Amino acid sequence: MAVVELQGVSKTFRDFWLRPTVKALDGLDLSIESGEIFGLLGPNGSGKSTTIKLILGLLSPDAGKVALFSRPPGSAAARKRLGYLPELSYLHSFMTARETLLYYAGLCGLDRATARERTRQLLEMTRLSDVADRQVGGFSKGMARRVALASSLIGKPELLVLDEPTSGLDPVSTDEVKTLVKELAKSGMTILMTSHLLADAQDVCTRFMILNNGRSVAQGAVADLDGSLQDCFLAAVAERRAFSVASFLKA
Amino acid sequence: MRAFFEIFRLEMRRLWRRRTAQLLALAALAWIFCVPWLANGDGTLDGVRHVQLLLSLGGAFTICCVSLAASGALSFAAEREEFRLALARVRPAPRFALAAGRMAALSAAGAGVLALCACFVVAKYGAGRPCSRVIDPVMEPVAAEADRMYAHYLSLLPKLDDPATPEELRGVLASLTNTPKAVLSRMFMQRARDRFESIGPGATARWTFPAQDAGEGLAVRIRFSSDFNMRDEVRGVFAFGDLSGSVSNITKSILKVPLARGAKAAGAVAPAQAVQTLEFANSSPNTLMLRPRKDLKLLAAADSFAWNMVRAWLQLSAMLATVCAFAVFLGSCLGRTVAVFTCGVMLFTGAASSDIIESYPDQLEENRVDRISLAVTRAVEFVCRPVFSLHPVAALADDECVAPAETLQAVAIDAFAIPALLALLSALAMAYAHESAK
Repeated sequence: MAVVELQGVSKTFRDFWLRPTVKALDGLDLSIESGEIFGLLGPNGSGKSTTIKLILGLLSPDAGKVALFSRPPGSAAARKRLGYLPELSYLHSFMTARETLLYYAGLCGLDRATARERTRQLLEMTRLSDVADRQVGGFSKGMARRVALASSLIGKPELLVLDEPTSGLDPVSTDEVKTLVKELAKSGMTILMTSHLLADAQDVCTRFMILNNGRSVAQGAVADLDGSLQDCFLAAVAERRAFSVASFLKA
Repeated sequence: MRAFFEIFRLEMRRLWRRRTAQLLALAALAWIFCVPWLANGDGTLDGVRHVQLLLSLGGAFTICCVSLAASGALSFAAEREEFRLALARVRPAPRFALAAGRMAALSAAGAGVLALCACFVVAKYGAGRPCSRVIDPVMEPVAAEADRMYAHYLSLLPKLDDPATPEELRGVLASLTNTPKAVLSRMFMQRARDRFESIGPGATARWTFPAQDAGEGLAVRIRFSSDFNMRDEVRGVFAFGDLSGSVSNITKSILKVPLARGAKAAGAVAPAQAVQTLEFANSSPNTLMLRPRKDLKLLAAADSFAWNMVRAWLQLSAMLATVCAFAVFLGSCLGRTVAVFTCGVMLFTGAASSDIIESYPDQLEENRVDRISLAVTRAVEFVCRPVFSLHPVAALADDECVAPAETLQAVAIDAFAIPALLALLSALAMAYAHESAK
């Protein structure tokens, strides 16, 4: 069963007067099956964030259909099965790590006993138990990232959306996150991730899609790649690079 | 409901840990402590108390309104702009709860600070001081009187073309011919409210009031005027059933005349009747004038200052809840700077609008721009009426009872209905604001 399904999705951003400003997605088709680790890759401005926001139900498409667990992505039923780690951690600096997890547990509708137990487990898993009662405003970027990761897992999601999950982490923590992602997928969780670190994506992802100018320019299974994911990526966005160099020379 | 409480707790933590609540309490209490050095009133004990109460609680309420509205609008707009709000939005929590929880927390913090201030004021000015219930005279409703004036105006219109009509009347009628009915109705209503009644020397005036069971503890509050707005002598006797009180003072002063049991007066009626007559026999050498709807009130003893303060606190907290809800609503749809600016402008114009409308009636505005400005001010006044039509602090300062029915209504409308509506609008605005955020 497809956990995420996008069919012919287009999205154009408009200004205050509803005049089109940016065409972010142009007829995108995407299907992510249960248990997959799906890598959504692409250069800056290719439409990755817009795709993620559509899947999260924060935006609605101009054309096409988006479904999450065969439901509209904004529905409470779909959101109950969703976890999200944004590119920046966006934590409330005045809250402690424990309070942050309990807060998101409350928003997920977990009862207090379950929320406390789950918080304890996640703090242990992310090695934050010792600093659980310190305000996250004083945390290093890596520690804050781990709090954000734990909070995305608090509701035991079936689909985890990770936007640059290793951003700001040291090599050891990066390796731990990659191992964690693989283990979560083994336990049946579906994972959609974006990353600029193509080597990391190649290590973790089972399938990928490369976006450029709001369109899919390459997709497939990582195992079927002849070369590295990086070669595939550079070939897929070559048109854009050639255009940039040509226009620079022309200028 | 769980999401609502989580957001409520989050916002309370923000207010406490960022020291906003403590600073707010400190600022409000510091103001109350400073007021006695700033205001001395007219020098009498009652005058000093009146001015100090008005300034201290009024100032504390203003401080709470401005700081919590700015804090609410700023923090919510910042959360939305910095994408932090989206993290809550992707959870299965209703958008309504995200706004309503925040509104409730801001209101609760403000109510807490106001409670502190109220306790201090009660301790300072005495909890047991009696306050009075204000009773208006039984009169024809203002709207009905305005309708009669309008009907009379229509009956005069045919005389516009009649050469026998005096020039002055023709001029007045001609100036009103193109005035819309709504404006005329407003003018006539204002005129009905301000209609003066004259009491010649030696004459007796009568007004009816709802019958009062408690004979003792009644007083009349009155403000006489005279021709040419001069300060003239006032002398006379009030009679209300078997109660009476004499007055000797000057016009333009607000007089409070206690009614004491004496010889049965002429205005007495059987207690079974629904209304009773208040009489005033003018024994001064001048013709006295008053606007019965504004200048004449009967005061009946009610409960203590402490209970009155509880009702005033409830009203102030309810008003604050509406202000906070409005600020959060602005934060949900505007950028932080625009939200704070708009909130500030709305608060200022809302507070000033009723005075502007009173000072600049329709008929004085001949310029189109002024008329449009007045129409905008009227619209602002209409929107802000739930907050600025209540005057609990003024009532406290005047030793008037803050009406329980009005308090209940304020709590139901200002503290619950309006914030709920604004939370719904915020939920809609959040979705739209995110769509246009790219």
